[in-house]
Amino acid sequence: MKKYVFTLLVAATLGSIKTAQAQQKAYETTVDGVKVIVQPSGNNIVEIQTIIKGGVANYPASKMGIEALAMSALTECGTLKHDKNSFKDALDRVDATVYGYTSKDYSVIRMNCIKTDLDVVWPLYTEAITQPKFDTAEFSRIKQDAINSLKERDSQPDAAIDKMANQVAFANRDYAKEPQGTPAIISQLTAAETKAYYNSILTKSRMFIVVVADLDRSVIEAKVGQLLATIKKGTPVEMKKSFFRVYNNSFNEESRDLATNYVEGVTSGPELDAPDFTAFTIAMRIFANRHFLDIRTKNGLSYAPQAWFSNGATSVAKFSVSTTQPNKYIAVFDKLVDSTRKHGFTPAELADMKVTYLTSFYYKNETNGAQASSIAANEVLHGDWKRSLTLISDVNKVTLQDIDNAFDKYIGNIVWVYQGDIKKVDPTLYKNGTLHQADNPVSY
Amino acid sequence: MTPKIIKSITLSIAGLLFATCSFAQLRLPQGYYWKQLPNGLQVLVIENSKVPLATIEIAVKNGSFTEDSVYNGLSHLFEHMFFKANKDYPTQEKLLKRTQELGAIWNGTTGTERVNYFFTFDRDSLYSGLKFLNAAIRFPIYRIEDMQKERVVVDGEFQRAESNPGFQLDFEVRKRLWTDQFTRKNPIGIHDIINTATPEKMMVIKNKYYFPNNSLLTICGDVHHEEAFAMAEKIFGDWESSGFDPIQKFPIPAFKPLTKDNYFIKESTIAQTPFMDFAWQGPSYLTDSASTIAADVFSTIVGLNSSKLQQALIDKGLASGVSVSYETSKYVGPITVFVVPNPNKVKECYDELMKQLSMWDDPDYYTDAQLADAKAILLRDDMRAKEKPSSLPGQVSFDWCSTSLNYYTDNTDDYQKVTRADIKRYLETYLIGKPYVAGMIIAPDLNKQVNAASFFVAK
Repeated sequence: MKKYVFTLLVAATLGSIKTAQAQQKAYETTVDGVKVIVQPSGNNIVEIQTIIKGGVANYPASKMGIEALAMSALTECGTLKHDKNSFKDALDRVDATVYGYTSKDYSVIRMNCIKTDLDVVWPLYTEAITQPKFDTAEFSRIKQDAINSLKERDSQPDAAIDKMANQVAFANRDYAKEPQGTPAIISQLTAAETKAYYNSILTKSRMFIVVVADLDRSVIEAKVGQLLATIKKGTPVEMKKSFFRVYNNSFNEESRDLATNYVEGVTSGPELDAPDFTAFTIAMRIFANRHFLDIRTKNGLSYAPQAWFSNGATSVAKFSVSTTQPNKYIAVFDKLVDSTRKHGFTPAELADMKVTYLTSFYYKNETNGAQASSIAANEVLHGDWKRSLTLISDVNKVTLQDIDNAFDKYIGNIVWVYQGDIKKVDPTLYKNGTLHQADNPVSY
Repeated sequence: MTPKIIKSITLSIAGLLFATCSFAQLRLPQGYYWKQLPNGLQVLVIENSKVPLATIEIAVKNGSFTEDSVYNGLSHLFEHMFFKANKDYPTQEKLLKRTQELGAIWNGTTGTERVNYFFTFDRDSLYSGLKFLNAAIRFPIYRIEDMQKERVVVDGEFQRAESNPGFQLDFEVRKRLWTDQFTRKNPIGIHDIINTATPEKMMVIKNKYYFPNNSLLTICGDVHHEEAFAMAEKIFGDWESSGFDPIQKFPIPAFKPLTKDNYFIKESTIAQTPFMDFAWQGPSYLTDSASTIAADVFSTIVGLNSSKLQQALIDKGLASGVSVSYETSKYVGPITVFVVPNPNKVKECYDELMKQLSMWDDPDYYTDAQLADAKAILLRDDMRAKEKPSSLPGQVSFDWCSTSLNYYTDNTDDYQKVTRADIKRYLETYLIGKPYVAGMIIAPDLNKQVNAASFFVAK
């Protein structure tokens, strides 16, 4: 069953109109004060995501990793009714998924099963959320696994360069915290401390639930009511938004024994509620096409040139390549940005991107999991889950002037980071720019 | 002219006979429709109206299994060149522009036994999409300057893989597992071959493998099969058959069996967590399709949390992960056991793994309940695999290249029929007491503490 393939590239993208044709209309309901968003699925798969808001704002830098470890412990350290093995064996028997994970802005406790198995899986899901045991022996085991995982992730060049970019760009901000923590912090965490932390964030005030499944409303409300019965109310949390702007170009490097070199840049982007948020999103998607064309097609400088808008409490634009010619890359990049700022995008590029958004919207609707994740992200970040369904109409309102202005406004100085052969790169090219303009060496 | 006309007619008749006789027993899931055009092109239409999209894919029986050391990596470079230029879109800039006009999500992949190209777009763009695909597959343009740029891109993909310790280990294991036929199992290729590839070599590949009678066109989504077949025939119907079966004309050499265990340790500063990888030469669909099915069931059993393997390694904290897998292949698929050991217990992990492997011939190694659980998992996996319409063409074409359409259709039912005797035969034929390759990648600092060479050796 295992397949090894080498791909040309990944051109898939996510954007967000109406529901897929086999589906009924989505709705929201409130159960015991908690918002429940339901998207009927038109298939026999059940996807449920319980969201806990807060992310890196929930803990200090000295405890980063604690929420990730808590999420892992929910399904790996037993419950009050099941030890770890009987819990996992019961899920195995019906090939169901229950696990928790965390990101910079929120955590997700996810359940996926075949509809006919729901009565087996749902009680296990509620146990994991409301009655986790945090068994100390199992907790020691998952700490070691978490440390292994951190080191394994740091051995993956794409993950490592992105982590370095975040740490340098977001220094002294919440976003500098790594949700997975560090080996040093993880090794010091105790089961009791992590359990207490989990209990502190498990409040109705931080929660909402997404259901993508063909289940009767009454069934959903009864099950969710049961889930919430023992969870305390808590106090509401607000997302701490933080605008990011770079005032000088910078370049940080790290020598690594890699077969090629990895470069990533971070610059500004609109905040989540900014009026030009959608325009900038489109601008970056079109810029990504241009970046691909110039870096890969025309100049053969990289297999995987990427440019994207990373949005969250702190939203930024990012650019990355792996290349054996980092000095040539920055020269081509500078010219491309300069040209885009001077001449803007074309009507055809905008028209084509609107068509691509439509394809991407339906593509996302192919699976219950992807739909649930999109609904969850829009509810956390924009306070509007319906944006997952209406984004296309927002996209269609965007004009050429809007995207040109947004690109011009946010793409400025850049925090660059580099991993690989440091003899191959000239930092001054990244810090001073390569366009050699008289008064201001950095033209953007 | 006359010989050509006669040849075409002969082929057409042969094609019809082939379609009516060889495929008389063709079985397909509900909503799947198959037709073979007179030129040999097989067309599969999957009606699935979940979303108003269409996905088209063309798969070719090409890939590293067709490559000797002079061509290793060039099926993959060829796949990249597919997206470079053709008679309708003479530059990549124009070609990419066309994908953007179609709003297409697209990609291509090269594996050991399949190369495929696929596009997803609005259902109303189906005809335009097929025209686009036709131009790219049949009328590519290979320019020296384009190839010079794309060689660097493909080599860059290779270098990215080489920057990953998991790939480094896998690459070294495969070299030792397939010995002098390594190129046949190495889709990414050899740097020198990639970097010296010429348009002439691209044409050699095209003229060997890129024919309708060596390809499967799949059209999936919110489409009607009769309309889709009509479009396929109109657009691809004049694509001329090669007149020969490429795989018969250019046969695949047999893989030489391993004669002894082969251990190695690779130190790497980027391997911050050690990995261990064990590999055996497994079953071939061509000679032992039953074992390819048993292999998947066994891999699923030992992936269960309750399995002896998971309990001994994961539950006891000796490893963060252990997986057993078999890659379904027409020509000898690899069986692998991949382990992420606890860095503080590498030797204990290895010793326990060896103990586990030694028990695989014990009838009590798994229970009847675990066999039933594994089958239940594979049944549900199939439901999940069919959730995403745009992924269906890729799933079918993998089997079309490496097994058969019937294998695809019957796969889940066949899993349910697997017996203990089937699994025993699979284990005894390919694993128990059979030579294997064992590799470890480890950071030099950790290896100083662990001294892997003191225990990670063939007995």
